[in-house]
Formats: sequence, C-alpha cells, structure tokens
Amino acid sequence: MKTISIYAVLALLLLVGCNSEPSLQKYFVENSENKDFIAVDVSPSILNVDASKLTADQAKALRSFDKMNILAFKRNDKNQAQFEAERSKVNAILKDEKYQQLMKFGSGKDGASVSFVGDDEHINEFVVYANKKENGFAVVRVLGKDMNPTSIMNMISILKESNLDLEQLKPLQEMMK
Amino acid sequence: MKKFVITLVVVLMSSPFFAQGAFDKFDGQDDVTSIIVNKKMFDLMSKVKMDASDKEAQQYLSLIKKLDNLKVFTTKSTRVENEMRAASEKYIKTAGLEELMRVNQDGRNIKILVKSGAKDSQVRELLMFIEGGKNEDTVLMSLTGDFDLNEISVLTDKMRFPGGDDLKKATKGSKGPK
Repeated sequence: MKTISIYAVLALLLLVGCNSEPSLQKYFVENSENKDFIAVDVSPSILNVDASKLTADQAKALRSFDKMNILAFKRNDKNQAQFEAERSKVNAILKDEKYQQLMKFGSGKDGASVSFVGDDEHINEFVVYANKKENGFAVVRVLGKDMNPTSIMNMISILKESNLDLEQLKPLQEMMK
Repeated sequence: MKKFVITLVVVLMSSPFFAQGAFDKFDGQDDVTSIIVNKKMFDLMSKVKMDASDKEAQQYLSLIKKLDNLKVFTTKSTRVENEMRAASEKYIKTAGLEELMRVNQDGRNIKILVKSGAKDSQVRELLMFIEGGKNEDTVLMSLTGDFDLNEISVLTDKMRFPGGDDLKKATKGSKGPK
C-alpha cells in the first residue's frame, strides 16, 4: 500500500512537472546539465544524526523532510547577459501565487527571499532564493511532505545536534571562491 | 475644467495604491537594504508549538498572531534619505498617523508614529524614521497589524532591530498617545 502511494505521489509530481506553466521543477531539470549551473541534491543523510538519540518529535520532523535540491548559477565575465536573463526567469517563476513569500531582505545588488508551497500546516516545499551580483544566484528547494511550523523548529534543533556531512555540498564550494 | 476632473480622477484612483505601498519603491534600489516580513511568516511563526509554561514565549506568540507586515529600509545614501523623509511625511499626512515620540540623540532625529485603532493603546501601524548620521544608516520601519502598544516591548526584547531601545522607552509604561 505504501509503495502505491509513493508511486501516486511520484506520478503526481511528474504531472505537475509536465505542466506548461513555468515551474521551479522544470527550471531545475532544464538547467541541471547546463555548464553555467551547479546542481546539487542533498539527502537527509547529510545531517548524519544518530536516529536513536532523537526525540519522538524530532524523528517525526526528520521523516517529513525529503530532500534538498540546490541549483546555483555561477557568474563570470562571459555570462553577464545570461545571468540577468536567468535571474529574471527565476524571479518570474517565484512570482506565481503558488509560491507564498514569507520574507525577503537585501538590496538591488544582492538579496535573499524565502517562500513556501502548501498551506500553513502542510508545507510541501520551501524555496530559498539568494542572489548576489558579483557571484551569481542560488535556488534551494527543500522538499518534504506535510512539513509544519513545529517540525521546522524541530529540524532546526536537529541541525544544531547534527554533524553535518559537508561532503555533499562540495560542488558548491567552487561557487564561493 | 475637464483637465481638472481628469487629474482629480487619476489622483483618486491612484491614492489607494499609494496607501498600499508608500515605501515599496525603496524595495530593490541599489543603495537601499530592505527587510520585508510578510503576514504568512507571522502566521507560520505563531503556529509553532511552544512550551505553554513559558510565559514570555506565549506573550511573544500572541503578539505575532496580531502582526501583518514588517518592512524595514535602511540606507547610507543622502539622496535616498531625502526621498524617504519626503515619502514618510506624505504618508503620515495621508494615513493619519500620530506622533508618539520624537528623540534627538547625538544629532540624529528619531521619530516614532502610530496609527491608533479603536482603543487608545491599540495600534494599527507603527512607523519609525531614524535620521542617518555620520556612518550611521537612515532607517525607515513600518510595522502593521492590530496590536497593543504595550506588547511591542516583548518584540523589541526578542528581536534586535534598529531603534529598538528607543521604541522600548516609548512604549514602556505608556498607555499610548495622548
């Protein structure tokens, strides 16, 4: 039964992905092979926590968290025009009503915003979008099922205790240089 | 005459938009740093289950539920500072804000204004304008919602935002304007 529901969710995701509207999903797929982009998928194993030490709430929060996809565009002298084009594409996608913006900060040169998909108690996706004129931009999608504000607080408490396995983020280091 | 009517119509039509985002033009400018927290964020934060015995946390949650939007714009540019001052003065007139207090500290003017609700201590909007000084940012902050002035001190304790200390002085023990 469980596998069936997983397949159903996958099929649903595919359907959403095939939708003609520009979506982040599509944007990620289209650009993950592009050499100007760096794509990283992070699984919950990055947290490297001892499951037996978690409280019941923490374990529940961890289960609601699925994976994290990161797509980053590295700016260099040659791709200035493309950077502007890609940046406005992402901006346009995030303008969709589906992405409810929580907060943002920054200036014209750089900035970051946090949005989410779903409703208050059943959050399916968080989108963190950060950009800096000199370096490029990054979009982080945190995917899960039925995440809620309490589980997020619990996730933060897990993060504090975890020994982050940064190996998974290696490709991004290049970006920071 | 006709021209006058058209102008009047245009002004009347556009005024709600002004009221909506009197300061939105500062968002995204190169020399302005902005922080915008939307109602959704406060909604989500208020849904976090916290220890019911922690009185301070409960106070904090009950305040957050009543907040709508927080907008903070800071700049170092004099040009933008002048624009901000003009925009806020205009907004104060159109939105009917009342001055809560004015401080002059080390040559920097700090103005705190509120838009009162049904009761005196009930606030629909809190606006703060801090003039820039040497190497100091100009700060324009607007907080909307439906909250009690006395509750704000809980927030200033928890969050470190510019002018928080002055705000605390303004709200502590006071029962609102008048």
